[in-house]
Amino acid sequence: MATIPCLCHRQTEHCLIVKSNQPIPPKLAGRLLTSFLRDDLLEEVLGDLEEKFQETAKTKSLFRAKINYWYQAFNYLRPFAWRKSKAHPLNQYDMIQTYFKIGWRSLVKQKMYSAIKVGGFAIGITACLLISLYIKDEMSYDLHYPDSDRIYRVLGVITEEGDIKRGVAFPAPMGPALKEDFPEVEKSGRFNGSELFGAGSNEVRPGGEVENSYDEGFTYFDQELMDMLQFKFIHGNAARAMDQPHSIVITQRKAEKYFPNENPVGKTLIINNDEGKPYTIGGVIENFKTTSHIQFDFLISTKGLEFWQGEQKNWGASNYATYILVHPGTNISALEQKISDGIIDKYFLPMMTQSGMSVADVKTYFKEKNAHLELQPLNKIHLFSSDIQEDSNRGDIRFIWIFGGIALFILLIAIINFINLSTAKSANRAKEVGLRKVVGSFRSNIINQFLIESILYSVLSFGVGIILARVLLPYFNLLSAKSLSFPWQEWWLFPIIMGAAVLIGILAGLYPSFYLSSFQPIQVLKGDVSRGSKSSPLRSGLVIFQFTTSIVLIIGTFVIYKQMDFILNRKIGFEKDQVVMIQGANTLGNQMNTFKNELLTVPHVEAVSVSDYLPIKGTKRNQNQFWNEGDNHNQDNAVAGQFWLVDYDYIKTMGMKIADGRDFKSDMTTDSTAMIINQTMAKELGGNVIGKRITNGGDRLWVIIGVVEDFHFESMREHIGSLCFVLGKDASIISVKVSSTNMSDFIASMAEVLKKFAPNQPIRFAFMDESYAAMYADVQRMGNIFTSFAVFAIIVACLGLFALSAFMVEQRSKEISIRLVLGAPFRSIFNLLTLDFLKLVLIAIIISVPIAWYTMQKWLQDFTYRIEISWDVFVIAGMMAIIIAILTISYQSIKAALMNPVNSLKNE
Amino acid sequence: MKETRLGEFEEVILLLAGILGEEAYAFKIADEFESQTGRAVSIGAVHSTLERLEGKGFLKSEMGKSTAERGGRRKRIFTLTAFGKKVLKESRDFKMSLWQQYPAFATDKLNIA
Repeated sequence: MATIPCLCHRQTEHCLIVKSNQPIPPKLAGRLLTSFLRDDLLEEVLGDLEEKFQETAKTKSLFRAKINYWYQAFNYLRPFAWRKSKAHPLNQYDMIQTYFKIGWRSLVKQKMYSAIKVGGFAIGITACLLISLYIKDEMSYDLHYPDSDRIYRVLGVITEEGDIKRGVAFPAPMGPALKEDFPEVEKSGRFNGSELFGAGSNEVRPGGEVENSYDEGFTYFDQELMDMLQFKFIHGNAARAMDQPHSIVITQRKAEKYFPNENPVGKTLIINNDEGKPYTIGGVIENFKTTSHIQFDFLISTKGLEFWQGEQKNWGASNYATYILVHPGTNISALEQKISDGIIDKYFLPMMTQSGMSVADVKTYFKEKNAHLELQPLNKIHLFSSDIQEDSNRGDIRFIWIFGGIALFILLIAIINFINLSTAKSANRAKEVGLRKVVGSFRSNIINQFLIESILYSVLSFGVGIILARVLLPYFNLLSAKSLSFPWQEWWLFPIIMGAAVLIGILAGLYPSFYLSSFQPIQVLKGDVSRGSKSSPLRSGLVIFQFTTSIVLIIGTFVIYKQMDFILNRKIGFEKDQVVMIQGANTLGNQMNTFKNELLTVPHVEAVSVSDYLPIKGTKRNQNQFWNEGDNHNQDNAVAGQFWLVDYDYIKTMGMKIADGRDFKSDMTTDSTAMIINQTMAKELGGNVIGKRITNGGDRLWVIIGVVEDFHFESMREHIGSLCFVLGKDASIISVKVSSTNMSDFIASMAEVLKKFAPNQPIRFAFMDESYAAMYADVQRMGNIFTSFAVFAIIVACLGLFALSAFMVEQRSKEISIRLVLGAPFRSIFNLLTLDFLKLVLIAIIISVPIAWYTMQKWLQDFTYRIEISWDVFVIAGMMAIIIAILTISYQSIKAALMNPVNSLKNE
Repeated sequence: MKETRLGEFEEVILLLAGILGEEAYAFKIADEFESQTGRAVSIGAVHSTLERLEGKGFLKSEMGKSTAERGGRRKRIFTLTAFGKKVLKESRDFKMSLWQQYPAFATDKLNIA
């Protein structure tokens, strides 16, 4: 053991270090202690802890010793041992109070700049608040169902020509089979919302009354699905509400509508005048929350229900959305695999071999298409299903990102305003900073001061922003088709808002406070206050950023509107204008034909057609498979297409064009087996189709007598599919083509006609062009939201530009005055002040064009039928940005160019 | 009754400081506390109490010698002041007087759970 002199600063005789092979305590813990311990305690504490450490290391283990050292070190985190900070003066409270006072004074002194700082901030915060509410609502879908984390929706997935297609409709026996065959599945339940079987909308009345009312939200629903989702029952027994055939469960609001102030359990509802088949009310449930992905009002029990003989055992027709509840702790991906293999092999394979395919063929078919089942968690349904046809009205996770991004960008623009103005106006504060330093202020004090000032601004802006958001919320609700409200009563709202205000205040104030506190007192007090007045590259960069964002939003808005215009005004293959659809005509029964003839006598009626299959969303659809006569009924050679039941006048009423062959004729009795197909189907059947005979797998054969020009009957997001018309009856929608433009008179005369036939039924109608436009409501909505936020962004950016230009003019007022005195014309002064900023806007245009082009190209890819982004969009957006910028700046420039030079020169 | 302003833990620490004499510094006191009471205590807790007792005037302290196992660092030795001793004594006397008033003690049927 040798002793060597210690190298520590004390250098006393005590201070000897013993060099040996002793273990060394954890260095990091030692550093921790050094960082906070009072200086006078440091030596003894480190000594004590080391002694303890050595002892533990000897008696127990090195590891235990290290752990213990950390434990002991943390146990010194006690007030008595803390080093008292020197930087904080004793009268901190007073100091902070003066920060607020000075901050408030400088805010009041510079009214315009402060207003722009606060106003811009407030607008940014408003945008953020509104979008946060929107996002919070979108994310909260289906979370209110008690077992939402264990409930999954079954999805069928196939890959067709590289496209992954997901669907939710399954055969009726699928639900029961899942529960029977897989022990992991605790419950399985289904609903059938297909209009084909009478779900959707119907005429309904309480048993014993005569007046029908029209209502929507009908569905066929399993008792077990109800158990799974645990609906809250207001009346009736939750477990047994639907266990009888012909029972129905209705929501509270419908109970109040049909049975005000009474308990309707046990009473009956008559649907579509079917007196022989009344539905007994088994229970009343709470209204569906708006954040539920399913929204129904009338849930008809599936108990004992069969839509045709053997339907519940048939694996060939897919009409049921199927859900399962799994046991806790189930491995979902394993179950997915198991279900996929099990169900396909056991049920789908035999079903397909029955129709003539060999087992090997079916297997390769499934393999080629990579057919499998997936389990979609309940809370993912709302945001992650935009590709599923039945879910096309739902939210989209991409919009969440886009809107979130936009909100963030607007806030960023506002923060940039704050930074730009604070640093630009720094000259005004420079003397203050210099003086503070001279009288002994630390830099950290000044940083604190400016941070507190910016927090003050931020809190003020939050106040204004919250008020603004509250005022705008109803409009935003209209815009986004939501019913959002501020969660005032939630305990977390206030702390979160306060936290956000402080955080954003610090974020915005960070750069200005470091910048302002860096002034050298000697320079500042000598009078060199020009710092910050020159246009710094940073400030220019930030202005470019602001305008880039704004221009991208402007271009985005343009593209969305152009696409919308394209959709609404494109040749769609039928004439949607001047067509009135009378709904609920199924109650007319046998009188339908007389009614139709009566309608034709009304003036201005050009044509009348009775069919539920219309080229707008929400009407009936029936997907079938077709084969040429004599072909084997394989999956491979099948043509999948819509099978629409129409009448003789359908094509005329819809204004569709016959491309080949002829229309249905009422005087030809053979037309009952005639079929008209669209061009897509003709192509798929191999062309030259007139006179050919095809079948949909049943006994019947149809003769193709004509080909109708393709028309859009689904969203323009998809290709036009195959479709055929045959003559059929039993429809509830009467479409009337009108030549008059005075619609209200016309509706009145139609109502009179209807009254003769159905005195108890008020007329219910819709215009086809409006229903068509409603299909693209989401695009419209997107466009509106984009416009609003683009306007927000531009306002904030312009506020900043306005303030900056005002500041520039202020700074250069002497220069301008001298120029004016020397005879500079108005134009040269105007150019001098404007061109600098215009350059920045031009750069922003150049940067934003590729960004906007790329993003909007991505968005347009959703549409099969879409516009090309042409250069004029960019030119118009660019021109707009320039004009807005010039307008913003010119106020200040003109003021400067017209001012009397004496005013600014006389002070010298 | 006289207020001693001495908590149970404080009293033990004070006593231990007296017992250890020349060796009364934070680590040794904490060590002794653990071995005598069987209760775990951190050095920091003991140290904080020692500071407090010193503040109350029951202890005084000065830096002592350094040793090898302390990495050559000195230790702070705490010694009882006269006031400290007096307070300890008063505390003991007070408790003794309480014990003598306790009737069960006289009949030797002490049954304290």
